Amino acid sequence: MRIIITIAMVLINFILQTTLLQHLAIQSIFPNTALIIVVSYALLRGSKEGCIVGAFTGLLFDVFFGTAMGYYTLLYFALSYFTGKSQKNFYRENYLLPILFCALAAGIFEFFQFLTELVLRKDGNILFFVIKIFLPTIVYTAVVTVPIYRILFGLNEWLELKEKYKYRLF
Amino acid sequence: MIQFWEEHKKKIIGVIAIAIVAVALFAGGKNLNASALESVLGFVVTPFQDLTTGIENWVDSTAASAKDKTALTEENAQLKADLAKLQDENKRLEQYAKENAALSSLLKISQKYPEYKSTGTKIIAKNPGVWYNTFTINKGTDDTVSANMILIAPGGVVGKILESGKTYSKAQSILDSRSAVPAMSVRTGDLGVVKGDYTLMNDGLCKMEYIDGEAQIAVGDEIVTSQLSDVYPAGLSIGKVTKIETDTNGLTKYAIIEPFVDLKHLDTLLVIDKNTLEEAP
Repeated sequence: MRIIITIAMVLINFILQTTLLQHLAIQSIFPNTALIIVVSYALLRGSKEGCIVGAFTGLLFDVFFGTAMGYYTLLYFALSYFTGKSQKNFYRENYLLPILFCALAAGIFEFFQFLTELVLRKDGNILFFVIKIFLPTIVYTAVVTVPIYRILFGLNEWLELKEKYKYRLF
Repeated sequence: MIQFWEEHKKKIIGVIAIAIVAVALFAGGKNLNASALESVLGFVVTPFQDLTTGIENWVDSTAASAKDKTALTEENAQLKADLAKLQDENKRLEQYAKENAALSSLLKISQKYPEYKSTGTKIIAKNPGVWYNTFTINKGTDDTVSANMILIAPGGVVGKILESGKTYSKAQSILDSRSAVPAMSVRTGDLGVVKGDYTLMNDGLCKMEYIDGEAQIAVGDEIVTSQLSDVYPAGLSIGKVTKIETDTNGLTKYAIIEPFVDLKHLDTLLVIDKNTLEEAP
């Protein structure tokens, strides 16, 4: 059940993100909803499941938009692994931490892409990057995280309840 | 199982990370057609992307048609007038073509206007994010579309195909920072390379680099693909120069190019196969 719902969630997000959601972009910046889902999932379920979801999401992006296999896979994989590590240390009901983590992850994600551009194609315009990409992405991501995290949180609660019944945990 | 994971967690994660890096290194930079895994994913995802884009277009067009019927009638009248004018012009040009053919045969020049076999296609998904400009189109190897074919729109070049699956293809526009198109200026014949740049990408502009420092290129010049490329056929128009600057090294210049095609609002494209040159009648 959880597997099916998670796969469906990732695929639906991928389809929407590459088609409809692009119209909501402000100055061609729209938060990476796939990253928000991956990070939220890692925060809710820990690094192991987060890693799997992250790698799968990254694989989708690699297959459809990457020129080399593995770049996005590794990036999403690493980000979900490190956010998943901190899962035990916070209350899930609190919204502040997911917002913080998602914004931070989005920042790191953009920064790595900037680094790749800088190292591989010497296209490094740090001022343009910070003002036009880095800051807007962080702010916009923080805003969009709230509804997405709410949905994922509700879904997770529901699934956990079902799992508890299934395995007679109480 | 869980215990095994806990014991060897670091090793497993390390091995997976190394495997991904190895795959990236081996598969990197190759323009191959899609592998089995990619084809399967494409088979699952692309129909839905197609559907979503279709619904979006339908909603768009319904809303538009309800909104401005009067504007449409006006536009219709205008278009009819234009059509009449164009038909007239076309007749005149046909006569020119005939005259040209006759004169060329007199001069024994075999003049060839390149005309390639083409397939119409639609964009069904775009790469999210501000860094790269790649997109998915709804034609694949089933429709004889394959890697390294060229995409054009009325006006000029759009990009090339990176990879083809059975029912979809992955394409890269000339605004993408990984794309490079050997180009030249029509008026002066100066050579250069049109590259994408992420700082210009979101304004729909690109950059022509490595122009000779003493080149006579000027603002407003038309830029076309040069014969130095083995992917892009020569003579396809790209755009016009809007700005020229000297590089920091002082030896070369670069120009900012405004493509003739509005690459930010693309919908329908043509895929051309440069290996099927059909001679103009």
